[in-house]
Parts: sequence; C-alpha cells; structure tokens
Amino acid sequence: MLDALMLFVVLALTSMAAGFMGSLTGLGGATFLVPIYVLFIGIPIQYAAGASLISTIATSSGAGSAYVRDRVTNVRIGMSLEIATTSGSIVGSLTAAWVYAHNLQHVIYVIFGIVLLGSIYTQITRSKFELPEPKPPDRWTKWLQLYGRYYDPALGREVDYHGVRWWLGELIMFVAGVISGLLGIGSGALKVLGMDWAMNLPMKVSTTTSNFMIGVTAATGSSIYWFFGYIQPYFAAATAVGVLAGSFVGSKVLLKLRNVTIRYIFMAILAILGIQMLLRGLGLYP
Amino acid sequence: MDLEDIIGYTLRIGVIISIILIAAGVALLIVKPPAPHILQQLSYPRSLINTSSISPTQVLSGSAALNGLDVILLGLIVLIATPVLRVVMGLIQFARERNYIYVAITSIVLFNLFFAIFIIPILLK
Repeated sequence: MLDALMLFVVLALTSMAAGFMGSLTGLGGATFLVPIYVLFIGIPIQYAAGASLISTIATSSGAGSAYVRDRVTNVRIGMSLEIATTSGSIVGSLTAAWVYAHNLQHVIYVIFGIVLLGSIYTQITRSKFELPEPKPPDRWTKWLQLYGRYYDPALGREVDYHGVRWWLGELIMFVAGVISGLLGIGSGALKVLGMDWAMNLPMKVSTTTSNFMIGVTAATGSSIYWFFGYIQPYFAAATAVGVLAGSFVGSKVLLKLRNVTIRYIFMAILAILGIQMLLRGLGLYP
Repeated sequence: MDLEDIIGYTLRIGVIISIILIAAGVALLIVKPPAPHILQQLSYPRSLINTSSISPTQVLSGSAALNGLDVILLGLIVLIATPVLRVVMGLIQFARERNYIYVAITSIVLFNLFFAIFIIPILLK
C-alpha cells in the first residue's frame, strides 16, 4: 500500500511540475507530461496519453472560468473552429487506437518527438507584437461574424479586431485536433498559430480562445480514449490533480515573472525530451 | 448575472466538483480498498485496470456504494462533461441572440461530441 501511495505522490508531483512549465510556456502541461511519464516513470504511452488528455480538460476549464469574466475569449470564433478540432480529434483518437492495436507505438514516439521539437520553434518565433498588422476583412469575416472588441489593461484602451482567412484557420485546427487525439495533448501551440498567424487575431484573443477550444477538443478525444481503455483511473486522478495545481501556480507566477532565462531552461527541457522521444521511436534509445 | 457569468461559474463548479470527487475517491480507495490486491494492481505501470472494462452504469452504482475506484471515475466523467455542458450553454446563448448561423455551427460541434461519446462505442462494439 505504501508503494501505491508513493506512486500517486510521484505522479502528482511530476504533473505539478509539468503543469507549471506548461502554463509558463503556454504549451499546456501534457506536452511535458507524456514524455516524462513514458521515459522516466515507465508508464505505457496509452495510459500517459489518456491521463494527460483528461488533465488538459481540467486546466482548460479552470483557466476558462477566469477568461470568461474578462470577456477576451471570442466564443463565436472558438465555436466556428471547434467544428474542425473536434472532427480532427475523432480522427486522431481512432488513429491512435489503430496504432496501439497494431503495436506501432514507436510511430507515436516519433511524431511526439517532432511535435516537441517543433514547439521549440514556435516558442522562438512567437510574435513580439501584441496586436497584429490590420488586414482588410474578407467574406468569411462578415459571414461568420469573426470580430469583437475587448479592453486591454496594458494598452489602457478598447481594442477592436477582426479575423480573416477562416478556411486556413479551419485547416490548421483540423491538424491540431488530429495531433490532440493522436498524442493526448491539447496542441495549444498549433491552435494559437492558427488564430495568430492564419487569422490575424490579437495574441490575447488567440491564447484565451485556444484555451476555450482545448477543453472541448480534449473532451471529444477523452471519450474515445475511455472506450478503448486508455484511461487508468489511478494515474488519471493523480495527473488531473497535479497538472491543475501546477498550472494554477504557474498562472500566478506568470504575472510577476518576466524572466526570459526560465523560458530558455524550459525550451532546453523540451529539446531533451523531444530528442529522447525521437530516439526511442527510432529504436536508438533503450 | 448574464449567461457569460453563468458559463464562467459552470466551468469553475464543474472542475471543483470533479477534483473533490477524485480526491474523495483516492481517499476511499486507500481507507477501504475493495480487494486486498487492488491498490497493488492499480499502481503497477502496466496495470490491467482501465476504463475499457468499466461501464458508466457500474460507475454510478459503485459510487453510490462508496467504491473508491468508481468515485474517481465519476469525477473524471464530471470533468469530461464540463466542456460539453459549456457547448450546450453556448447553443442556448446563440439561440437567444437569434444568431442562426451559430446555432447551426454549435449544433455541429455538439453532434461531434455526442458522436464521440455515444455513437462510436456502439459502432465499434
């Protein structure tokens, strides 16, 4: 019984650290969590992915309740893109089930490694401007009412914005959904890219709306994971509690912390985990 | 209080209830394990205890009987249900605004969710 308790504590503390790093980088806890579980604790990737997918719902809903009050999240833009992320998640989760059923886990390791290394790139090229260069509205903007306004306390004024190229955002969101279902992560980096780069939305709107979408995407994937038995209740329990606590602490620290050094440390951790996952997938790492 | 605030509270209450259920389930599991070896089986990394063998009806009856494992699973179900409920409330919001394009869009999202939750298990049984 002591062993069982010990494992619970280890998993909860690991998830806390992952949730903390995830909320400071904006990548979400699962990005760090799955590789740590697989590489260092020896949990099969199905259970690691299942537990982390569940935990992303907790952080999305937890942070979402605060964002709704700020009125920055754009529910219309989020919902219009959810068509693609939920469809993608169904495709991704079913693909994952097929891969596991055929014992092709190393494919998932390789994809995970690539996603981790790709996340470093998005961290480096992260847009430095809070507000995008305005682009003329297109027909999607009007038809799908892709506009809104919010109060930006940093700028001290109301910001009016509108989204463009909805179709491109939708395509990227489908891929984000597939990745989420396949790997058991929220794939927030890809969602932010879709809104920030493709749809030309302000950073604050992209991140909060992405957070809203992650919960719905992960709920879709989780129910398919549930059916296939990738959710081990004890691991999922420890992970959900840990990641939620870690990202809560992270969100409080984020406001006070403006240190870039810590971001570089987390990027180095991402690189190490990414390379290890790749090597394991290619059979070059025990 | 408008619907936006209600949505915010729904998300928060959903997470709080699920975390309380999960914590209570873990406590129950440790205080009164259903079988002597169950904790050992649960803490084995390649544990064979997972959601594929546990039906939602069993989760409900087991939770009523204060079975720790089922209480944890009930907490996880509440967690998964929270964003679904949030989409339903979005649908109500758009219907009240008579924004029919978004009533249709939200219905598609809701269909995808129900497809994953209810229809895929039936199709793959």
